[in-house]
Amino acid sequence: MSASPARRFAALSGLAVAAALAVWWLGSTRLAIDRGADAGRTSEDVLQVAWLVRALVVPTLAVRVAALAGWRAGAGAALAMVVPAWPVLVLAWAASAAPLWQVVLAEGLLVGAALVLPMVGRGLRRALPRGDAVEPVATAVGIVLAAAAWIAHDRWTFPYTF
Amino acid sequence: MSSLPALSISDAVARRLLLLGVALCCLSQANAAPRVELTAAPAWKGWTRPGRTTEIDVRLSADSAVRASLDVVAARQSTDSTVELQPGRVARLQIAVGSAASVDVEARAPSAPPVRRGVSLALSESPLLGVAVASDERVALDGFHALALAADDLPRNGSAYASVDALIVDAPTLAALDHRQLAALVTYAADCGRLVLMNIDQRVRRLLDDAGGCGGRFMMQAKSLAEATSMLTASLATSLPAALSPSSIGELARPSPAAWNAVAVSLAVYFAAAVLALVFIPSLPAIVLTSALAIVGTLALLQGMYPRSQLIVWSEGESGTQLARYQAVQRFPGLVRERVRVPLPPQLGAAAQSCEPGQTMHYEVDVTSGRATFAEFETRLFRQVTLCYSGSFPMQRTIAVDARADGSRSVRNAGTRAWPRGALLAGGVARDLPALGPGAATVIDARSGGSAGDSALRTAQTRTRSDSTAALWSLDLAGVAGAPIDSTGWLLVSVAPPR
Repeated sequence: MSASPARRFAALSGLAVAAALAVWWLGSTRLAIDRGADAGRTSEDVLQVAWLVRALVVPTLAVRVAALAGWRAGAGAALAMVVPAWPVLVLAWAASAAPLWQVVLAEGLLVGAALVLPMVGRGLRRALPRGDAVEPVATAVGIVLAAAAWIAHDRWTFPYTF
Repeated sequence: MSSLPALSISDAVARRLLLLGVALCCLSQANAAPRVELTAAPAWKGWTRPGRTTEIDVRLSADSAVRASLDVVAARQSTDSTVELQPGRVARLQIAVGSAASVDVEARAPSAPPVRRGVSLALSESPLLGVAVASDERVALDGFHALALAADDLPRNGSAYASVDALIVDAPTLAALDHRQLAALVTYAADCGRLVLMNIDQRVRRLLDDAGGCGGRFMMQAKSLAEATSMLTASLATSLPAALSPSSIGELARPSPAAWNAVAVSLAVYFAAAVLALVFIPSLPAIVLTSALAIVGTLALLQGMYPRSQLIVWSEGESGTQLARYQAVQRFPGLVRERVRVPLPPQLGAAAQSCEPGQTMHYEVDVTSGRATFAEFETRLFRQVTLCYSGSFPMQRTIAVDARADGSRSVRNAGTRAWPRGALLAGGVARDLPALGPGAATVIDARSGGSAGDSALRTAQTRTRSDSTAALWSLDLAGVAGAPIDSTGWLLVSVAPPR
């Protein structure tokens, strides 16, 4: 997998996730406005789900792409997955009661993961003697990391504990 | 060497001057620090009911002329007011507060330590009966907690009468009330409060006769406490007309979707731009730049929008009576996360309170008028902070309705003022009611009926008994000073069924 198609695929996936979140958030906030209810709760849910979805995709994408095309491609693809949701998140934060530091910290963790995890992929590429084993092993490691993120999220409701 | 004695003399002088300066400084400091005295006492002898409004009577004085600020904090609601204190004069303020177990009162003056007082309130689960009579006779009303009150225990804010469910006042107590207490009592009567006036003379009776809301059904006159108690017992058989809830009033007019539309459009533009960027410039900087520009653009758009508040008024009265009761809701839509300070309409500010008890709200109270002039609260995107108002206003609508044999109804304007166009509600059906001048009449055809189309008509029908007739008009709120442009209101006047 070359760097550019991987990044384009990641960016499209990021945009698709962001669009789905935007549709959900806009729909539920409109219902809340019409009913005279508080749109803050829904916005907090959107922030939480947006973080969780990207936290599950970023490890898989970053490790796999980096194992196949290097750290730069892996980091680029992971960041292209993370960044497109930011405009939706800024609006959802503006409509929620979530503290700014929590949102910034959560996004910072994702960006940090997008920059660090490709190193794991690159390490796998160097460590594995057989070239054809790199892709499945990197995918498996990415899935394990995503599962770890899921379990960690399940046990520890960081970052959005409103 | 000859210069040494000269130096020592100047040192001594300098030391004395320094001491004198310090003494003068301390003296001026002592003079600048005024001594502020503060006392705070609750209305109704400290009794109120959960979720109701009461009042704190605050007395402030100082030994020198000073501008003091007074903060009153009750649960999530706080008020502040500025008082010009003069030596030898006691400034007295009555602040309406929501019910809370304790209320904190703090007075602050420049260069003086803050003075704090705590006021405890007793929250009664039982209905409260206020007995403001000169005699020491005890009163018992089934299910009620009776409070023996002096004239000074009665509040000066009409909204504070929400704390009691019934009140007995005799003539000596009535005579001892100041003009603000009398105005608050009249507001209570106009708001259909259960009130028994004991041994009042004809002149006062005539004055108060027109003040009672709900056709004066809940304002009674008695000659003794026993009679007052039995009248109240009989009156309890008739329930007070339930006020329309804030959420029901809110349903009468939908909130403006302008902010939501702007956000939806800006997100749509962002996604379109992001897809185009991805097709033509598939680089990470382009993706980041598109996101950053979308964030800046959307926030700039929201900052540039002017959030307009919305006032919705629902009022009800009875044909031929002088007063209509109203409940109003004012919505303040939020666009960004910020603390906002909004002016309150002067005619409504006296009874302003947050519609949500959990909402943290700060009011600025004008000392001279005793009403809230500004409200301050935290808001955010899509948040609708709502303030509730209630009270009464003079009304002149007298409707004469005669049912005819063919099912039609003859409607006559029996009052002295013309009506605008409205709707007549009878038998669960709404019909158009044309504008009528004084004395003019019209016949409403039985077949011209239609179902209630809009939310106001639906609400009017739910508030009208199926065997009764009522008329609904739109209110012209142009005369309400400070009312927002987006203001709507209705007046529902019910016609008593023929006896």
